[in-house]
Amino acid sequence: MAGRYMLYFGPQHPGAPGNVGFRLEMEGERVVRAELIPGFLHRGFEKMMENRKWENSYVLSYRFCVEDPDPFEVAYAEALDMVFKVDPPPKAKYFRMIQAEFSRIASHMFWTHFMLGSVGLRTPAYWALVAREEILKWFAWVTGHRIYHNFSVPGGIRSDVPQDFQSRTLDLTYRVEDLVKDVEKAVLGNRVFKRRTRGVGVIKGETALRLGATGPVVRGGGLAYDVRKLAPYERYDSVNFEVPVGEVGDAYDRALVRFREVHESLKIIRQAAMEVRPGGPYRVKIPLTAPPGRGYARVESARGEYTVHVTSVGGRSPYRVRFKSPSMPLLTTVLDYIIKNEEVTIADFPVVLASLDPCAPDIDR
Amino acid sequence: MVLSTIAEAVKYLFRRPYTRLVPAKTGPFKTDRMRGAHILDMSKCTGCSMCQQVCPANAIDMVEVPGQYPQNPRRRFPRIDLHRCTFCALCVEYCPFDALYMTSVTGFELYTRDKSTTLKSPVELSRGDYTLVTVKRDLYVTKEVKASG
Repeated sequence: MAGRYMLYFGPQHPGAPGNVGFRLEMEGERVVRAELIPGFLHRGFEKMMENRKWENSYVLSYRFCVEDPDPFEVAYAEALDMVFKVDPPPKAKYFRMIQAEFSRIASHMFWTHFMLGSVGLRTPAYWALVAREEILKWFAWVTGHRIYHNFSVPGGIRSDVPQDFQSRTLDLTYRVEDLVKDVEKAVLGNRVFKRRTRGVGVIKGETALRLGATGPVVRGGGLAYDVRKLAPYERYDSVNFEVPVGEVGDAYDRALVRFREVHESLKIIRQAAMEVRPGGPYRVKIPLTAPPGRGYARVESARGEYTVHVTSVGGRSPYRVRFKSPSMPLLTTVLDYIIKNEEVTIADFPVVLASLDPCAPDIDR
Repeated sequence: MVLSTIAEAVKYLFRRPYTRLVPAKTGPFKTDRMRGAHILDMSKCTGCSMCQQVCPANAIDMVEVPGQYPQNPRRRFPRIDLHRCTFCALCVEYCPFDALYMTSVTGFELYTRDKSTTLKSPVELSRGDYTLVTVKRDLYVTKEVKASG
């Protein structure tokens, strides 16, 4: 087809990463420009939290990312710990780490499903969902719900862990490891997957960081930027793990980094689970009114660095809550850079989108 | 090679189907701490409105119920809209008189096309099945409090 034309891609499209749309400027088969159309899921979370009290605002703090809610929950709890000037018991900190790492694995497995869907490799995609399902069952057992757990609260964790917590958690890590190894073997060694992802969506780590991106997109480009190492929160300074990095920075490297991250997360969970035993203090009760001040937390979510800033002027509610999500730069600056610097066809466009792993509701909030 | 994928797939071919679990087993997602539909103990509730105050979804309002309740002279009890409820269990945690519980009744058991049936009056809430109770206040009550620093 000759000449330039416009094409609407999403929000109702199997290749779109959730409820976001794109206005694509096409030249033949090549995507020349992609304009993001966000806002389909805007609910005004930041404003809503100003109208909630301290003790119930955290229920809203993670409800904008289905795939990976726990780092958001942990970050808000940490920010409020700073506002209320409390130090949660060590057991609560280790549990928060386990919660966030299981969430990361569940999120990466969900991502595997989407990624393999966009390259047309459907069979291992469902094995990845089995691994996620096992983790969701563990969450339902410990916290009472599968997706939104509501467990990391300001001052610690909400209730004590069950009696057989350690044995069941360690058992789950080995079961998930087996499943992830199967998926990894079936995906990373697959010739079709390699051809669809090698050299597609190339971006170097330094460039991605300059464009505002964090997480596996930066690490896939060879830069070991991880908040868990650079500015350890909770008790990440007391566990041993590595930060996997890629070389080229293409979609394949990002997949490689995510699979390696799952193994590192399992390593962290095994170390942290040894510190979480039933009995003993797990929560510091916070008062009903907060002192004036600020709370700030940055955590490494599955998609990158996530920041919360809470301002308190005293009283029963937060004065201002601000989130900085890792997903917005992925679909704006990073996607623009990739489209300008390589020939992205309409067939490769869903692969590039999926490999960046944005979370659409997190963009809109 | 594509063969590696096929080799793994053959391994999975002889495994038990994973998804068969859901229709075949009753309540496969039920756990001991599942947060589901509420039960109200009307003999304990004093109508203090703490559950209404703490509800983040504004799913609870206090209504007057005819009858004699010595501990609740104004006869005001919580009415819960399960369509608005996020099942966070804050009402259970903050109830000072231990009058609210949660059961394992959740998900598709609550799903209905008629939204008016999910608005549970206090009397309906008190008729719940006590054998299904999963979450009580003592699960969330902090037993050992460390001094804040």
